[in-house]
Amino acid sequence: MNNVNLKINGIDVTVPEGTTILDAARRLGFDIPTLCNAQGLQPFTSCFVCAVKVEGGKGNFVPSCATKVREGMVVTVEGGEVDKARKMCINLLVSDHCGDCMPPCQSECPANIPIKDFMALVAEGRELEAADKIREKTPFAGCLGRICPRPCESQCRRTRVEEPMSICYMKRYIADTEKKEKGGPHFPSPAPDTGKKVAIIGAGPAGMAAAYYLALAGHKVTVFESHAKSGGMLRYGIPYYRLPDSVLMDEFGAIEKLGVEVKYNTAIGKDIKAKELEKDFDALLIATGAQGSSSMRIEGEKNPGIYAGIEVLGKVAEGEKVDLGTKTFIVGGGNTAIDAARTAVRLGSKAIILYRRTRSEMPASDFEIDEALAEGVEIQYLTAPLAAEKTDDCLALKCIRMQLGEPDASGRRSPVPVEGSEFTEKCTSIIAAIGQRVISDYLADLGIELTKKGTVAADARTLMTSRPGIFAAGDCQTGADIAVRAAAAGRKAAYSINQYLSGEEVTGEPVLFNSSMGPLNEVPEELFEGKEKAERITMPVIDMDKRRTSFQEIETGFTPEKARKEAMRCLKCGCEKEKDCKLREYATRYGADANLFKGERRGYDRDDSHDDIRIETGKCISCGSCVRACAEIKGLTILSFDGRGFKTRMHAPFGHSLVDTKCDGCGECVRVCPTGAIMGKK
Amino acid sequence: MNTDIIVGLGSCGIASGAQEVYDYFEKNLDTSIALKKTSCIGICFQEPIVEVVAGGVKTVFGKVDVAFAEKILDGVKSGKLPEANRIFEDEGTNSFVGPQVKIALKNCGKIDPENIEDYIATGGYEGIRKALTMTGDQVIDLLKESGLKGRGGAGFLTGQKWAFLKGAKGDKKYLVCNADEGDPGAFMDRAILEGDPHSVVEGMLIGAWATGADEGYIYCRAEYPLALKRLKIAIAEAEKRNLLGKNILGSGKNFVLHVKEGAGAFVCGEETALIASIEGKRGMPHLRPPFPAESGVNSKPTNINNVETYANVPRILVSGAASFNKYSYGQSFGTKVFALAGKVKRVGLVEVPMGLTIREIVEKIGGGSSTGLPLKAVQMGGPAGGCIPESLFDTPIDYASIGATGAIMGSGGMIVMDSSSCMVDVAKYFLQFTQAESCGKCTFCRIGTKRMMEILERITQGQGTMEDLALLEELADVVGKSSLCGLGQLAPNPVKTTLRYFKDEYIAHIKDKKCPAGVCKSLITIDIEKDKCKGCTACSKACPVQAITGSVKKPHVIDPAKCVRCKMCIEKCKFGAIRVI
Repeated sequence: MNNVNLKINGIDVTVPEGTTILDAARRLGFDIPTLCNAQGLQPFTSCFVCAVKVEGGKGNFVPSCATKVREGMVVTVEGGEVDKARKMCINLLVSDHCGDCMPPCQSECPANIPIKDFMALVAEGRELEAADKIREKTPFAGCLGRICPRPCESQCRRTRVEEPMSICYMKRYIADTEKKEKGGPHFPSPAPDTGKKVAIIGAGPAGMAAAYYLALAGHKVTVFESHAKSGGMLRYGIPYYRLPDSVLMDEFGAIEKLGVEVKYNTAIGKDIKAKELEKDFDALLIATGAQGSSSMRIEGEKNPGIYAGIEVLGKVAEGEKVDLGTKTFIVGGGNTAIDAARTAVRLGSKAIILYRRTRSEMPASDFEIDEALAEGVEIQYLTAPLAAEKTDDCLALKCIRMQLGEPDASGRRSPVPVEGSEFTEKCTSIIAAIGQRVISDYLADLGIELTKKGTVAADARTLMTSRPGIFAAGDCQTGADIAVRAAAAGRKAAYSINQYLSGEEVTGEPVLFNSSMGPLNEVPEELFEGKEKAERITMPVIDMDKRRTSFQEIETGFTPEKARKEAMRCLKCGCEKEKDCKLREYATRYGADANLFKGERRGYDRDDSHDDIRIETGKCISCGSCVRACAEIKGLTILSFDGRGFKTRMHAPFGHSLVDTKCDGCGECVRVCPTGAIMGKK
Repeated sequence: MNTDIIVGLGSCGIASGAQEVYDYFEKNLDTSIALKKTSCIGICFQEPIVEVVAGGVKTVFGKVDVAFAEKILDGVKSGKLPEANRIFEDEGTNSFVGPQVKIALKNCGKIDPENIEDYIATGGYEGIRKALTMTGDQVIDLLKESGLKGRGGAGFLTGQKWAFLKGAKGDKKYLVCNADEGDPGAFMDRAILEGDPHSVVEGMLIGAWATGADEGYIYCRAEYPLALKRLKIAIAEAEKRNLLGKNILGSGKNFVLHVKEGAGAFVCGEETALIASIEGKRGMPHLRPPFPAESGVNSKPTNINNVETYANVPRILVSGAASFNKYSYGQSFGTKVFALAGKVKRVGLVEVPMGLTIREIVEKIGGGSSTGLPLKAVQMGGPAGGCIPESLFDTPIDYASIGATGAIMGSGGMIVMDSSSCMVDVAKYFLQFTQAESCGKCTFCRIGTKRMMEILERITQGQGTMEDLALLEELADVVGKSSLCGLGQLAPNPVKTTLRYFKDEYIAHIKDKKCPAGVCKSLITIDIEKDKCKGCTACSKACPVQAITGSVKKPHVIDPAKCVRCKMCIEKCKFGAIRVI
């Protein structure tokens, strides 16, 4: 056979006559993507992902899988307009793809914890492996499993059957089980010492998560913490009755045992200048949280007996005696306001929350509001403070009633004062839980950029600040937010820092393309056909008397029997081919955007009739590989093209189900399917 | 002296009532008068057309209904034909016919297509007789010399294509005629098949002789029942006379010709899809190479030409290359048939020599604007073609010149538009067609054209953004470059050309939320001008949704919330008081 000489991306190559451009390029190490070109099948040229540019001619792109090389050919197989066209091709394919890559709980979780996986392990009684699974994404299963506001559960598809899975508490159950069986978290062994040193400011969830992953990677980590203990806002912003000291000690303390040194009672800017850290360390992570409290901006705010929410919570956490008297007003509607109110109850005070909107606008978690109400906390909605006055024996708070007006920028209806509705009530203490803000002035000597809000400016993906080698994670970068997001940011920062220390380009933790069938209330009803109802597990709690009078943990945890039964409720959403789907791989590689095109897209459709093979047409990209595998390998027409134009589909012909055909379940179609559209059931 | 009455019974004539006229004559004629039928002569705006040949004198009447047929019959009997409706005494018809040159349409409207004798009487099957005296190469050389190019749209040199088939390895070769004419508004091939089917049969026969093919298919869409009927009659008659079949005219040459009816997929006009369809497979294109000349029907070497191309062949054989290529412009030779439609006074099927300008076709042959509104553009080449603006009407009919405008010569669709056409809406119309007709195989055509459609819909509904426009332009480019076959590659052309010449209209829809032509319903309001309204109530009576109110002799008012923008009121208003704003 004759040889043919051609040039691929400027490189000369000689291949035998009859070779395709795709194979010639692969010889040179070019990884041209292809979806419809399956091994053992004739080229079909339907997906056009492999299209390349051949010089001369009309300037069209040609499918490299079927175009044979010619002498003197000059081909561009990647880069420039070829990549641009390829990206558009994938954008088009994902715009008509109905499926979830990740389960919605996992994609909704800021830390992307593999919930489906740990549920499956719990269902099989493999809790210790489940603990390891969670630690791939966070070392704080026990903490987060108690206090997370559970964004995951808000998207749990089980909700459409009856109620969401108990995801959050399941993490706690897993951590508690590990504690019971192994005495605490069981970490993998760290990589060999790299000789690199990292300084982290702040031992909260962001800082300590980063410390954990950096220590595992073999770096020497030193954490500087202004408080006497680690845990950050998890300790100083959340009362022990929700997250006990012992759990914090277990999970944060374990990280110190990995060789992470925490210098307590060491405040940056006071005890050490931030600038000095730079000299002694190879990289620096700022994870100082949002320690400042927002003011109520009312007259008399500085009077004694008026506190900030986290101030009260912090003092209680540190064991300091706090006397709130007999009647406390708590101003605000977030979780801190609820925590402060419930703490006030435990300190023997009557607690009344003043919130300027109504319950439905309240940012605090619903179940926490319920728990507060159950403990005797009162809430006065549509009420805002105007002024605080010191009287002889107590405080007088002047308030005004509000009503809801037009929606503001956040979409919530903004409160408007009702004229003439002012009233004054006496109280012994006032706690302002309006919100937290970031204090960043002590970082000035580092010369890093700050945002207008005073948060540390960092690249959203890499979390690197304006100065290479200095990173920021958690509330100090985002503004006050939930713990799981801070913990996730710590992990992501660790990834970037590791890249930085290894001398690699700092690109940040890879973000895989994710296709979604849509928000919970929009996913098609067909998904839930035939799902039997099963009651959601409930969390047992201690007696109300004990709750109101002590800081003992309220919730007592699941029994193994109940937890495993609960785990079996999981619908196992997400794609079975999540890890080896070619469409997802290329969509990630070329940075595809599933939402670039608004418009019609295929719906969910499933042929589950066959014992061995399941077809989900929604995930099909119409490459035709299954039809051809059946025809070319088996000589059968069990699957066929149907319809025309945008609605062209691949399925059993004439409206038959797969079980009604001669399909023997040989699995060739499963083998060649580039997505999860055709899957074997075994 | 004999008298003949000839009725034009093409699909267009039948649609205008020619069958009733024919039936009337059939019932009422005595044996001294011969009733004959022919097909479309192209003067569609005058249908039904009846020709009377008496005493060697030919008189042609247009717009003949049964009542007028009675007058014609009286005239034939009295020897005094009516003076009215004589179309060749009408200036319009003469202007319509004047600039035309009939080669492919030579017999259309002149002979009885169902009678082989008629065809033979005009020199039919002389071409094949001549070809049989030549070698295949000589025939091919003659065709090359004539400069005949594929009339299906691509414009590839026919002689060259035949040479590929002749040179292809293998003893079994096929010849295919693509009669899957599917462009909206195009009816060139139908007219030839209905009016002169033997010209196609003979063209293929000559091709078979030249290339060595011994079997052929005419792939004709099933939506052309009359064409199919006449084709089948023609083939049967040709077979009877040993013009098809074995040992044709004693030459030793065999050629079997089949008719294959297409089931309605537009994409089957694409040659590789057409071949798949002939083979009984789903009509889906495949990548070329291999080209059909190498691997076509049943994986054997195959040549595919369009109806009009084949119809030209016998004439070139009989009259010589020079009689054809004396009409030329640049590298285009001979004539081209167009289906002239839209906002011109005279619509019909026209055959013009290469080099005639679009303006000459639109203004001289077509008679200019039929609405009084200024002409804006012509759409050439159907949904795969493009819009050529009025400023470029002096472009000559020539493959290269038309191609330079962004449109294509195409198979011959020519739709004339006036200022009442919204170019975004026009682009949407054509794209909607190709998008729905995509075979669904390749990504860009299947999903890309759909996404383009959706963007156009948003723009015409006033919901488009400038980002949408940028995305539309990017898609138009990449869909054109990355689709598997001509359907997808050319589908963006209407969008591309309207963007090229009428981008301001797109921007008006997006930024000003206005449709300058007053077409896009979401962007227009119908308004009655108070001062002009006489209160005649014609509009309120015409309104299908009772959106117009007002008392007699008082100005009326339209409720924009009820109005469905059907514009029926505008048509009814005698005072020009209703306008689109």
